[in-house]
Amino acid sequence: MKSVAHHEILNVEDGEIVFREGEDTTEMFVLREGQIEIVKNVAGHEVRLALLGRGSFFGEMSLLEGLPRSATARAVGPSSLLVLRPGSLLLQIRRDPTFAFELLQQMSRRIRELNDKLVFKVATAEFGNRLARSAFMMTAAGEFASSDRKAESAAT
Amino acid sequence: VKTTVREERLLVISDVHMGNRLLQTRRPFREFVQYALDHDYSICLNGDGIDLAQMSLSRLMSDLTPSLGLFPQFGQKGATIYYTVGNHDIALEHFLTDVGQMKVVPFLNVLSGDRRIRVEHGHMYDAMFLKFPRLYFAFMMIGRFAILVGPKAYDMMHRINLAIIGTTEWILARFGAGKTEDAGEAGDALAGERECFRKGAENIGVRGFDAVLFGHTHLPGSREFEHNVKYYNTGAWFSTPYCVAIDHGRIWFGSLPELLAQDPFALPKPEPRTTIATAKLEERFSGPWATTTPAAPARLARHSRW
Repeated sequence: MKSVAHHEILNVEDGEIVFREGEDTTEMFVLREGQIEIVKNVAGHEVRLALLGRGSFFGEMSLLEGLPRSATARAVGPSSLLVLRPGSLLLQIRRDPTFAFELLQQMSRRIRELNDKLVFKVATAEFGNRLARSAFMMTAAGEFASSDRKAESAAT
Repeated sequence: VKTTVREERLLVISDVHMGNRLLQTRRPFREFVQYALDHDYSICLNGDGIDLAQMSLSRLMSDLTPSLGLFPQFGQKGATIYYTVGNHDIALEHFLTDVGQMKVVPFLNVLSGDRRIRVEHGHMYDAMFLKFPRLYFAFMMIGRFAILVGPKAYDMMHRINLAIIGTTEWILARFGAGKTEDAGEAGDALAGERECFRKGAENIGVRGFDAVLFGHTHLPGSREFEHNVKYYNTGAWFSTPYCVAIDHGRIWFGSLPELLAQDPFALPKPEPRTTIATAKLEERFSGPWATTTPAAPARLARHSRW
């Protein structure tokens, strides 16, 4: 890690882990060059949550909340990162007020994407329930009709 | 507010100060807008486009009206007019939305080719504006009256203002009071431009920008700062206007007369347009048989039956 003009820069190679899920570190990062993938371990399988490009922020949840990392960040190709610690985040906001604006924009976008996913999940589950209910009703109606026909044929 | 946009062709100017009595370059603004239209550029007025702080309403109308008629044509061409807010039009922060063909934004992150370019007026990095906003506003109001007296009075007041700022910063630095945690090496900023703008540009650039474009200081020029960040300042329209032209990630910086004389990124001339009917005819009567092949007359005769 090197420091250039009061900025802490971290250069990582392809496949290098920036931080691991569950780790107790609190830096956040701004991607200056390259790409970073955010992956999470779900029931023993690695799920890619996002692929971030230049200018993206990541790791801010641990910095703001002081909680362990919720996912793993890994470099895709050689990448360069600006490292921000709790103190330097405030300094960066003082030096560059638009940074705070962009941070909020990005977090707002993530909330909207999560909302969209949630709505889709709920709608799919609801649709699944309705489909099952309709299928049940149709089956029941079909059985009722066939029993009626049987009764009619028996009568004739 | 959408602040990140992809624009392959963009012209950036700053500090037009429409409505200000000192503005002498009224006609070139219309020429600039017409030029952008003719050469398929979107445009960005990088702050202080309309001088709300020191304007005369009649001057504003006479400055703006000739160009207003051209603005809708940008929409027809699929181009956009961006307006980043500056300190002389800071009231426009209340209108951070689309106004007709114009998108009013606090700053702009331009994606062009594989480049990321920040376009911002730059007043948010002016130490004087941030630390002493009331004093700054008072100077602006005094400047308004100085303009009524005449350009020389305004110029003199502006120099006094700069001298006061310079002296204050020098005295504070002697006593260590002006030193901040991010004080860097002096000397590589634009000539006449204070250090705060260089630091501002570096702090933006370190976040993954290839170039940073400011206005505000009225001092045109370009430099390369830390982290290979290119810095451009497009000056003001009180003297020779400067401009940045962006084309698929390539950046050109120069004066407006230079730009108007020759497009630095001239598009290839479009081929002569053919109508659908002529294109069909050409398609029908082109091919080996249409020229010298022996079978041509027979095939033409077959076609003629249809």
